[in-house]
Amino acid sequence: MLSEAGSDLAMGSQSAKRRDATGPSRPFRRVLPYVEIGALVVALVLPFALGDRTDLVTLATNILILSMLAISFDLCWGLAGIMSFGQALFFGVAGYAIALVGRDLDFSDLWATLPLAMLVGFCLAALFAAFLLMGRKTPSIIFVAFGTLTGSYAAERLVSGWQYVGAGNGLSSVKLLKLGAYEFVEGDAFYFLALGLLLLVYLGARYFKQSQLGLVLAGMRQNEERLAFFGYRVQLFKAVLFSFAGMVAGLGGALYSYHQGFIGPGNMGPGLSTTAVVYCLLGGSGTLIGPIFGTAIVEGLSYALSDIAAIQHIWPVVLGFVLLVVVMFQPRGIVGLLVSDRERIGSYGRRRSDG
Amino acid sequence: MRLGAVTMGDEVKLAFDLLAFISVMVLIVLGLGIIASMMGIFNFAHGEFVLLGAYTVYIFQSSGWSGWAGILAAPVVLAVVGLVLERLVIRRFYAAPIIAMLGTYAIGLIIRESVRALLGGQYESIDEPLSGVFTLLGFNFSVWRCVIVLTTICIIAATWLFLSRTSLGLQVRGALENPNLARACGISTSKLYSMTFAFGAALAGLAGALIVPLYQLSADIGTRFLVQAFLSVMLGGVGTFEGPVLGAAAVGGMAAGLPWIVIPVLADPLVFVIALAIVKLRPQGFITQGRL
Repeated sequence: MLSEAGSDLAMGSQSAKRRDATGPSRPFRRVLPYVEIGALVVALVLPFALGDRTDLVTLATNILILSMLAISFDLCWGLAGIMSFGQALFFGVAGYAIALVGRDLDFSDLWATLPLAMLVGFCLAALFAAFLLMGRKTPSIIFVAFGTLTGSYAAERLVSGWQYVGAGNGLSSVKLLKLGAYEFVEGDAFYFLALGLLLLVYLGARYFKQSQLGLVLAGMRQNEERLAFFGYRVQLFKAVLFSFAGMVAGLGGALYSYHQGFIGPGNMGPGLSTTAVVYCLLGGSGTLIGPIFGTAIVEGLSYALSDIAAIQHIWPVVLGFVLLVVVMFQPRGIVGLLVSDRERIGSYGRRRSDG
Repeated sequence: MRLGAVTMGDEVKLAFDLLAFISVMVLIVLGLGIIASMMGIFNFAHGEFVLLGAYTVYIFQSSGWSGWAGILAAPVVLAVVGLVLERLVIRRFYAAPIIAMLGTYAIGLIIRESVRALLGGQYESIDEPLSGVFTLLGFNFSVWRCVIVLTTICIIAATWLFLSRTSLGLQVRGALENPNLARACGISTSKLYSMTFAFGAALAGLAGALIVPLYQLSADIGTRFLVQAFLSVMLGGVGTFEGPVLGAAAVGGMAAGLPWIVIPVLADPLVFVIALAIVKLRPQGFITQGRL
């Protein structure tokens, strides 16, 4: 079963081969680092440019937090080839966990709650991976997709009927995130905290992607069986990446819960999970920077258009059309317009010094 | 003696409720299973096809026609919708089942939210064309639920006869078994796929039209069954006719029966866990060989 990402990969390696065959090639121009640095610079100056528009800073912080969810999905689909329709599950459960720690233990110190959220996301994802991915028989990609979808759906139903966690109303007035005596409220400080954490997540994911592990994953996306015949334990690699993605989603969920001061059943359901899919595919899956762009575009447009009642009503329809158009005509996403296939797929391990 | 009669009545009532719910599930799963088996596409828009069937009945009722006209029209409308969608969109996704999921999800989102906007977020109740109850051996049965059970049995029988006894059914089975060989024998698989998708959509439309009097019409009438329906297809096994029907019976039976045993909040997730565990142990489904 050749995935879309896999067929792209095949295309990329073919074009690289053609280049080699035509003799000495032009020096390979890399675009992606400039895109990444540009995005970082924009993100750094944004709060100063926005000045006193606090609503926009809040929106930007929200985008950074949701970007973690989008990156978490990209790790599953773009890198490991796992279609996860339940990425919001880890996001939501971690958000609930820190909200409950705040409510019942009256504790919200950054140095402990954020690692706790990551641990919750990691363990839950590892549990899912153990059930869905591991085992004697190789599970079909469809089974994994439905397994994650079902998990997310079941969790949403379970939580909306459970009084202890607030049932359908969710948990509101979540305790503020603290560092020592300092409390993070919405605003510049929270923005830079989210940006710093997103940067760490991004660098970690980027390291994963470009390491030898990333090369194995790329091979798996192209032909899983062949890699298995080489002796790689394919499902184990997938499980590792899935757990890491769950950890990232958990971190995002905790920040979301602290930032919004609210977490509800809808934050772990298939609705948010598929929104993460839209973020990632619109931006360009497998590029890591793409999902961030996708999140910014979707959330930014949604905010800009929310004043117009007519459009707000049909906004989900617009999202549906966007997803359909992307899937049908531009599966490489927006980043695919800027960056060549060869660069989008990337190079692995250490680069030769002679280039 | 008296106590015995009461529990006896409860058991008959439970059995009838189970049967009615299983029929609803089978009705919904049948179209989904046929499309998944034939084309390898898990249609995320299936719930919205059910919704469109229900919505057709609503349109007919609100413009003064009888409910029966709506029920007859729903499969036709959905067959046309399915045919158009297959020609324009679904056709591109045959080689990539995961991309097909995303594409059909997008279609479903568009349909669902459009209908939600049209309904204005309201719940509309639809009258049963045959209302009331009839009494048999001292037990009361809802007439409309009986109609649903009987229709389901008729549709299963008709579909089975079509697949196993007609020459077109033979072509369908051939295309399912080995599409390349079927094409080499001069069977137009592309035409067959179009027809299959339209047929599956029509079944969904009929299901929506039949069940909407039981549940109120809202934009989410189809999606509430979708996850159960997918699990049914996986449980029964893709690639057979009986598989999804049996899977739907199992999942429907569990979904309707478990709330009597455990607390309702846990019943739903428990159904999913049991179904997933069975699929994990038997990935090929209940039935491994197409036996038609």
